[in-house]
Amino acid sequence: MSDKNMNNNSSSIPIGRMLRSDTTGFTFGCNLPEPDVPLFGDFVKAPAQQGKIDIIGVIYNIFIEDDLLVKQLITVPQLPETYIQDQRNNRQVPIEVSVLSIGYVYNDTIIYSLPPQPPVTLDYINTCAKNDIVQFTKSTDYLTLILNSNEPSIDELIITTLRRAAEARSIEEQGLFLFECGKKLARLLSHDPYKLDSILRRLKVNYEQNI
Amino acid sequence: MGLELNKVTSDVKAMSTTLASKHIEIQDKHKTAKNTLEQFVNDDLLQQKITKAISLNWTGAIPTKEPINSSFECPAQPQIANIIATDGSQIYPDRHGKAMYFLINTGSIVFSHGSNEAPYCSSQPHLFYQDHDIYPNGSLISNAIINAKRDIIELQELSKLATREDQNNPTVLMLDNGLLLYLGLQTRENSQSAEMLQEYLDTLIKIESTGACIAGVISRPRAANVLRLLKLHDIKDTSFNEDEIRSLYPYNQLTDRMLFNFLRPGERSAIFVNASPQNLKSYMPAGQKIMFFYVNTGTINEPVILRVEVPEWVTQQPDKLSIIHSSIVEQSSFGNGYPYVLMRSHELAVVTWEEKQYLDQMISNSMHKNQIYTEISKKAFGKTLTNSAKRRHRR
Repeated sequence: MSDKNMNNNSSSIPIGRMLRSDTTGFTFGCNLPEPDVPLFGDFVKAPAQQGKIDIIGVIYNIFIEDDLLVKQLITVPQLPETYIQDQRNNRQVPIEVSVLSIGYVYNDTIIYSLPPQPPVTLDYINTCAKNDIVQFTKSTDYLTLILNSNEPSIDELIITTLRRAAEARSIEEQGLFLFECGKKLARLLSHDPYKLDSILRRLKVNYEQNI
Repeated sequence: MGLELNKVTSDVKAMSTTLASKHIEIQDKHKTAKNTLEQFVNDDLLQQKITKAISLNWTGAIPTKEPINSSFECPAQPQIANIIATDGSQIYPDRHGKAMYFLINTGSIVFSHGSNEAPYCSSQPHLFYQDHDIYPNGSLISNAIINAKRDIIELQELSKLATREDQNNPTVLMLDNGLLLYLGLQTRENSQSAEMLQEYLDTLIKIESTGACIAGVISRPRAANVLRLLKLHDIKDTSFNEDEIRSLYPYNQLTDRMLFNFLRPGERSAIFVNASPQNLKSYMPAGQKIMFFYVNTGTINEPVILRVEVPEWVTQQPDKLSIIHSSIVEQSSFGNGYPYVLMRSHELAVVTWEEKQYLDQMISNSMHKNQIYTEISKKAFGKTLTNSAKRRHRR
């Protein structure tokens, strides 16, 4: 369950800081989301064991809380932008982003299992660069960890995660990559043909739309 | 269970009956007061009565050139304005705690009206732990003096923020209390009170020099200065004594807020001078005489009457008075009748119970590093064991 040479590409972006964690996943906080980060299904990485490992995870939930003041303001007609910006930038922070741990990198080796230790509070969380995603998803072993998690929307998460992983590759490689992932899913979901069918159909539609 | 609700059921019933009958009594008094307001005549006799009343430490309202029963529509709000609010909260010294200290925390918001940008928010804690802070006159500092210190720090923070703002745009500063510094009974702490009052006045003068304008906004005010003026108006001549004008009868139990509930949404009342001795003896000589008016920031069906206190120099500049009036009304339209910036500055200033626990822990850890080992009192320890379920009531 390992692969060599996870690339520490410098184009990964810090997107938040750790709020809380356990072995199976973590939640980080960030300011108002940018249009492109963080997104559902994104690959992210977090340091753990004092930098000895990088945990790889996928975002499965982004949570924005309300409160009484927001509830009052939504009833105001024509709310000026300054009030909206105050709520978004100053009050509703941090926005909470939940991540499922699907592996880690130790000494440039990718290990597809839960990390020995979770990340600690206030550590920076980075997006994975395209090269990181390609390296990590060369093996499909991480799909087992996603399927075994108890989080809702697992079907959606698999579809989006595979789409992200496909998009990190060249157009020519995408078809073969998704085909291999489909074969793996067929083995993992052999007991649930309806679920498998649903996932594969939607993956196919996504792929055809993309090309 | 600490409070057995079943044991107060009959008292609650009796209380509501009492309140209902009191309500009718108050409505009658309100009618009388409204009639007096409508028929009010500001003549030489009234001026003589006011002069005498002031000499007897009267705390009424002195009319200005604006008729006291007049009302003024809300002016248009400028397209661009800086609206800055500061609020403060405090942790009082706790003799049951591990160390004697008090803390004042200010929260501030700089709201650029019309900019479409997020406001600038900040909070600033001030920790006091030296002997001269805690025992200024050899005995433990009073809560009233800590509150006054908080008010001074709030005003200084506003002054600092006003200095930083672009003076090409109008700047409105807001506090969520009056502008007359309350210093408690001023007995043993007299010299300290005088120093604090001077510090407060100096800050008001500094604010005036920045070109900004300032307003103290009081929600649900209990003041009855204008009712005291009506009472004085009712008195036939100047042969009254101190006791006569101290009593508010027949307007007792009423407040100015009730009197001005005829204001339409956005309207303000006439401006008055606060006749309090502190204002006339300390603020006025410093050029910072405090005036006030009432404003309706609510709706036709649900009026919200706020009291607004401003220095005299604000009332002498129509553009400044106008922007204070419009800013309070505009901000209140997004705060359910209370200025949004004041709600936010309070939110930024407040120290929660959990935060106080963290601070106590920090202080304790720091003391340990210096080989100082103290404990909370046995009483405080007992409360930590028994109070956990009641904490939410104490916040």
